[in-house]
Amino acid sequence: MSADADKPPIARRVALHAGLIAMCLAIVLPLLWVLRVSFVAPEQSYSTTLLPGFSTQNYQALLSGRFGRSYLNSIVVSLGSVLIALPFAAMTGYAFARFSTGGRFARFLMLATQMLPPVALVLPSFTLLKGLALTNSLTGLVLVYAALNLPFLTWILMGFFKAIPVDLEWAALTDGATAWGAFWRIVLPVSLPGLAAAGVLGFILSWNEFLFALVLSGPSTQTIPVALAALQTSNGVQIGNVAAGVVLAILPLVVASRFIQRFLVEGLTYGSVK
Amino acid sequence: MASIDLRSVSKLYPNGSYGVRDVDLRIENGEFVIFLGPSGCGKSTTLRMIAGLESISAGDLFIGDRNMNRVPPRDRNVAVVFQSYALYPHMSVRANMGFGLKMRGATGEEIARKTEETAALLGLGQLLDRKPAALSGGQRQRVALGRAIVREPDVFLLDEPLSNLDAQLRAEMRLELVKLHRRLGRTTIHVTHDQVEAMTMGDRICIMREGRLIQAGRPLDIYADPVNLFVARFLASPAMNLLPVRLSQEAGSLVIDGGEGLRFTVPARHVAAYAPHAGTQVIFGLRPEDIYEAPQGARTQPFALRVTAVEALGAEIILSGTAGGGTARPLEITARLSRHARVQAGETVTLHADLLPAHLFDPVSETAIARPSLRGAA
Repeated sequence: MSADADKPPIARRVALHAGLIAMCLAIVLPLLWVLRVSFVAPEQSYSTTLLPGFSTQNYQALLSGRFGRSYLNSIVVSLGSVLIALPFAAMTGYAFARFSTGGRFARFLMLATQMLPPVALVLPSFTLLKGLALTNSLTGLVLVYAALNLPFLTWILMGFFKAIPVDLEWAALTDGATAWGAFWRIVLPVSLPGLAAAGVLGFILSWNEFLFALVLSGPSTQTIPVALAALQTSNGVQIGNVAAGVVLAILPLVVASRFIQRFLVEGLTYGSVK
Repeated sequence: MASIDLRSVSKLYPNGSYGVRDVDLRIENGEFVIFLGPSGCGKSTTLRMIAGLESISAGDLFIGDRNMNRVPPRDRNVAVVFQSYALYPHMSVRANMGFGLKMRGATGEEIARKTEETAALLGLGQLLDRKPAALSGGQRQRVALGRAIVREPDVFLLDEPLSNLDAQLRAEMRLELVKLHRRLGRTTIHVTHDQVEAMTMGDRICIMREGRLIQAGRPLDIYADPVNLFVARFLASPAMNLLPVRLSQEAGSLVIDGGEGLRFTVPARHVAAYAPHAGTQVIFGLRPEDIYEAPQGARTQPFALRVTAVEALGAEIILSGTAGGGTARPLEITARLSRHARVQAGETVTLHADLLPAHLFDPVSETAIARPSLRGAA
């Protein structure tokens, strides 16, 4: 039988591809437009010409201000919160996956924290940080983000750990490892793709967070989402700067997902492939 | 070196069901014991309780003289080979095999020496630096075995280690495991649902069903004298013919009557044991290999079989057919004949049954009606 016989009729294929292309454009076109605006002089931002010249003016204007500092803040806060939350999430996730630790109540409680509207958490967080003199500090923001990430990362990692065959741990236990040894030497190395995937997701979550950053940070500690919002001034929206800021903001995410894609896919499909 | 003693060991799950119930078993030092049973019968659970991977709900477990109920797996000096092999995927073969020694604080030099020795024993010398993903099923199996051997444990626990191999490799590994056991002389428990493995590998078979130990004994003893219908059905393939018949006293002899001319006389040797059941319905158990195409002297008795199917396996022929029971409900009988028999489906042939090894079972309790064993004191 030829391969052609298996294919659907040509009309159906054309329709299918047209639909897919339309959907891709819906996602990609706005990004391309942002990219175009960012590299066009501010006065030509709304020009109807497709590419009226090339200029790095927006980027220069943006980086001459506090944006560079915000960028650094975002990296510190996102990385820091993930690095703090991940080890705890791994241990809690493993305990939830393998033992009856805390029972159903603990698992419910962890999910319940994700159901609260962020606004309900912002003011208590602010009060807490104020008491500790940590408002307007990166340390405070890192701690709060770590706390926000913890239940989410725990839940994801619990799934990864559940997917690891328990035989592996049993083998380690009979080989002479303690429960901790089996976790440290066998489970953690085996779930590296899962840890990487969870880490990236946590990073993205912190990177994009706006509300807490707005309330808890000050001028010197503001993160990118806050800095971008600040470009909406009394003189109107500086669309060129915003575009440049957006491009810079998504840059690390593009790079991270490019490098981590393998792990992410491997991690997210860990259980189903086995 | 260690014996294993299970005393009324039970596993009770939180939902109230028993995984294992009141198992009493003593396994002598150096013995090779098979746990045999259908899936879910509790054989793997028992193995895991011995390994310390599952808690014991009731009863006591001794390895050697020591009560192991609360001893963690790492302090029991047992090695487990899992059905999935459970090789550490991120470690090389060398690291996999050395892991147990490392955990027990062996020196680097000692780990290297023992790993190399064991690898040579199992023919894994060339594979030491490979990761498990780069090995074939048979090689992974050997590594799993090597990982167990290298530690020189008191007890080997094998949880269906051959079930993922193809037929030929399985036969090879079966032999190798037996040889290995002879060489190392360690107490070994092998869990399987494969009757060929059970019959050929162990000193003793323990047949389990629904969490209970049904029968334990030497393979040929169990084969010759199954305690109930379950064991009779389970232990051989094709399984024992189990025919509902009537046992009656006629003119001084005890007759097995399957209706429509299927009649046998109970051998004199068994009359005393079976006479009290005369006049009742019983299940007549006749192994397919106790049926012959020609008379074997005075010990066989003829019957007619309407052949419905013939399976020529090369070395032997498996006949399926019906006999007795009346036309409405004839009895299905399977016979195992030599390859020289010339039989075709649709024919009615006269075959000859050896009644001496046959058994009668109580249809209600399903247990075998006791009679003197042909295997003497064995």
